[in-house]
Amino acid sequence: MLTEYLPIVAMAVLAVAFGVASLVVSRMFRPHRPNPVKLSPYECGNDPVRLPRGERFSVKFYVVAMLFIIFDIEIIFLFPWAVRFRQLGLFGLVEMAFFIGLVFVAYIYVWRAGGLDWATSVEAPADADLASDSPRDPMAAADEELAAAMHDAEVAGAR
Amino acid sequence: MIDAPRVELWAILPVLMLFGGGLIALLASGFARRAAQAPFALFTLAALAAAAASALWLWNRETTTALEGMVSIDRLAVVATLALCGIGAFGAYLGFHYFERDDFRRNEFYALLLFALGGMALLVAAADLIVVFLAVEVLSLALYVMTALTFRRGPTEAAMKYFLLGAFASAFLLYGVAMSYGASATTSVQGLARALTGVGGSQPLALVGALLLVVGLGFKVSLVPFHMWTPDVYQGAPSPVTAFMSAATKVAVFVAMVRVLDVAFGSLAWDLAPAIAVLSAGSMILGSVLAIAQRDVKRMLAYSSVAQAGFILSSFVSPEREGIAAALFYLISYSAAVVGAFGVVMLISGGIREQTGFERFRGLGRRQPVLAALLSVFLLSLAGIPPTAGFVAKVLVFGAATSAGYWPLVLIGALASVAGAFFYLRVIALMAMQEPRGVDIADPSPLPRLVLAVPAVTVVVLGIVPGVIVPLLQEAGVLTW
Amino acid sequence: MRTPVAYFLLLSAILFSLGTASVLLRRNALRIFMGVELQLNAVNLTLVAFSRMHMELDGQILAFFSMVVAAAEVVVGLAIIVAVFRRTSTTDVDRASVLRG
Repeated sequence: MLTEYLPIVAMAVLAVAFGVASLVVSRMFRPHRPNPVKLSPYECGNDPVRLPRGERFSVKFYVVAMLFIIFDIEIIFLFPWAVRFRQLGLFGLVEMAFFIGLVFVAYIYVWRAGGLDWATSVEAPADADLASDSPRDPMAAADEELAAAMHDAEVAGAR
Repeated sequence: MIDAPRVELWAILPVLMLFGGGLIALLASGFARRAAQAPFALFTLAALAAAAASALWLWNRETTTALEGMVSIDRLAVVATLALCGIGAFGAYLGFHYFERDDFRRNEFYALLLFALGGMALLVAAADLIVVFLAVEVLSLALYVMTALTFRRGPTEAAMKYFLLGAFASAFLLYGVAMSYGASATTSVQGLARALTGVGGSQPLALVGALLLVVGLGFKVSLVPFHMWTPDVYQGAPSPVTAFMSAATKVAVFVAMVRVLDVAFGSLAWDLAPAIAVLSAGSMILGSVLAIAQRDVKRMLAYSSVAQAGFILSSFVSPEREGIAAALFYLISYSAAVVGAFGVVMLISGGIREQTGFERFRGLGRRQPVLAALLSVFLLSLAGIPPTAGFVAKVLVFGAATSAGYWPLVLIGALASVAGAFFYLRVIALMAMQEPRGVDIADPSPLPRLVLAVPAVTVVVLGIVPGVIVPLLQEAGVLTW
Repeated sequence: MRTPVAYFLLLSAILFSLGTASVLLRRNALRIFMGVELQLNAVNLTLVAFSRMHMELDGQILAFFSMVVAAAEVVVGLAIIVAVFRRTSTTDVDRASVLRG
C-alpha cells in the first residue's frame, strides 16, 4: 500500500534538505568579498569576448529538430500494430511495410534535398526581399518532406 | 486472429494515382532539384489524366462505400474529381509558365500540387469524418507550402497568415468531429445519419458538432466571418497558386459539405438551415461591399471569391437534388472563371515580383486586346451577366433557395449581385476606356493565351447551352445510401 | 471509483476555450500557434473521453491521427514562421504588413 512509498518520500525529503542546508550553511560561513575579476564568467582565463545572451545559432538546428519531430511522430502508428502484431498476421505486416516504405520515400527526399547536411551553411540572404536561392535550402526541404509525410499519414488513414 | 479488412483499392484509384504521381514527382525533385521543369509539368499532366480516366471508370459503378465505409463510390465524387483534375491541369500549366518565365526552379511545386489534389480527391469521396479531417489537412498543408513557394517576403507572410488561421480552423473542424462522435458513437457519415434519425444519438451534441464542422469547413472556403485570411493570402501567393487554390479548394470543400450537411446531418437540416442562410447572406453582402473598396485586382478577386462562396452556400438551404446540382454547376462555372481570371492577372503582373494594382490594368484594351478580352469574359461570368455561365449558375442556386422557401436570401443575393457587377465592370471600363500609363510589362508569349481561351470558351458555352452538363450534374446530385 | 466522463469533457472544453482565446488575443505568431496546439490537445482529450463513454476505440484512433497531423502542422508552421523571421526579423503578426489594403 501507500506505506511502501514511505522510504522514497523520506529519501526525497532528506535529499532536498541536504541540498538546501549545504547552500545555507556555506552562505553563512564563507567570506563575501567580490571584485570584477571574480565576477566575470570563466573563459579559460581569457577576458570574455561578449555577453552570452542574444546569440543566434544556425537555422540548421531548427531544420534537424523539425525533421526529427515529423519522423518521430510517425512511429505512433507502429505502436498499435506492435501490441497486436501476431493477431494482425501477414496483413498487418504488409500494411506496415508499405507505410514504412512511404516514410522512407520522404526520408530519401530529405536526404537528397540536403536537409540532413551539416556541412552546408544556410545563412539567410542579406537582402531581406531576395528570393532565397542558395543551392540547397533546407527550409524548403523541411516543408516538402512534410507534404510527403502527410501523405503517409493520409494513406494510413484511408484504410 | 483478427480478420484482415477488405481493401478495395480500386475504389480510391484516382486518389492513388494523384498521390503516387506526387510521390514520384517528390522523389524526382529530390534528385533533380535544379533540373529543367518541363518533364515535371508533363508528368503532372499525365498523372492528372490517369486520375481523371480512373475517375471516369468509376462512373458506372454501383453507388456504395468501400474500405470499411471510409470512402464512398458515387457520381458526385466522380464529377468533382474530374473538375479537380481539370483545375489541376491549368494550375500546373500556369505554374510552369510562371516559374519558367523567371527561370526560377522550384520543382517541388508539382509534387505539392499533386498532393493537394490527392487530398481534395479524397475529400470529395470521404464517407467518414476521420477521412474528411485527414483530407482537409493534407490539402491545407500542401497549399500552405505552395503559398510560400517563391520564398519572397509577401508570399511567406501570406503563408504565415494562411497557416495560422488554417490551423485554427482545423482545430474547430476536429472539435466538430469529436462532438459528432460523442453524439453518435460513430464517425461514419452513414452511421451518423442513421444514429441521428433514430433515438440512439444525442441531437443537441450533434448540432454543436455540425456547427463546429461548418466553422472549420467555412474557413477553408472563406465564408464571412471566417474570411479574414482570404485577401492577404490571395494577394500574397504566387498567381498560379492563387488560381489553383481559389478554384480547387472550393470545389473539394463544398462537395464535402454536401456530404456532411445533407447526409450525415440530414435530419438536422431544419435546425442548420438558418445558420447556413446567415453565413451565406453575410458572405454575399460583405464580400461584394468590401470588393468595391479595393485598388488591387488580386485583392478584389479575393473579396469577390468570398461573395461567390456565399452564393454557392445559398443553395445549401435546399437539401434536394436540385440544390446539389446547382451547387455543382456554380462550382464548375466559378472555377473556370476564377482560374482564367487569375491566369490573365499572372500574365499582366509581369513576373515573380507581381504588380497587380489597378494602374497596371489601365488601358489594357489598347495594349493587350486579347488578354483584356479574356479577362472581361471571366469578370462578366463572375458578375453573373448573360450569356455567361455565371448567370445560369446564379439562376440555378437562387432557384434552389427559393424552392426551399428562402426568398429573403435570394433577395439579398440579387442585391449583392448588382453591387458586385459594379466592381467587375469598373475593371472592364478601366481596361477599355482609359489611356495606358507606364511601361507594358505584360507577357507576350502566345501559348498561355491559347490555354486561357479554354476556360473562356467553357464559360461562354456553359452560359449559352447549360444543358450539356446539367443532366449529368443532376445524376451526380442523387445521393443514395 | 471512476471519474464521470462529463468532467473530462468540461476540462477539455475549458482548455479549448483557453486555446481559442490565446489565438485571438496574442500577436506573436509562435504564441498563436501554441494556442492552436492547446486546442488540438483539448480535442484529443474529448475524443478519448468519448471513446471511453461509448466503450469503443474509434475515438482513440482519431486521437492518434490528430497527434500526427498536429506534428505535421508544427513542422510546416515553424518552417513558415522561421522563413518569415528570416525575411523580417519579427514574428509579430501585426508588423508583418506587406499585405494591406
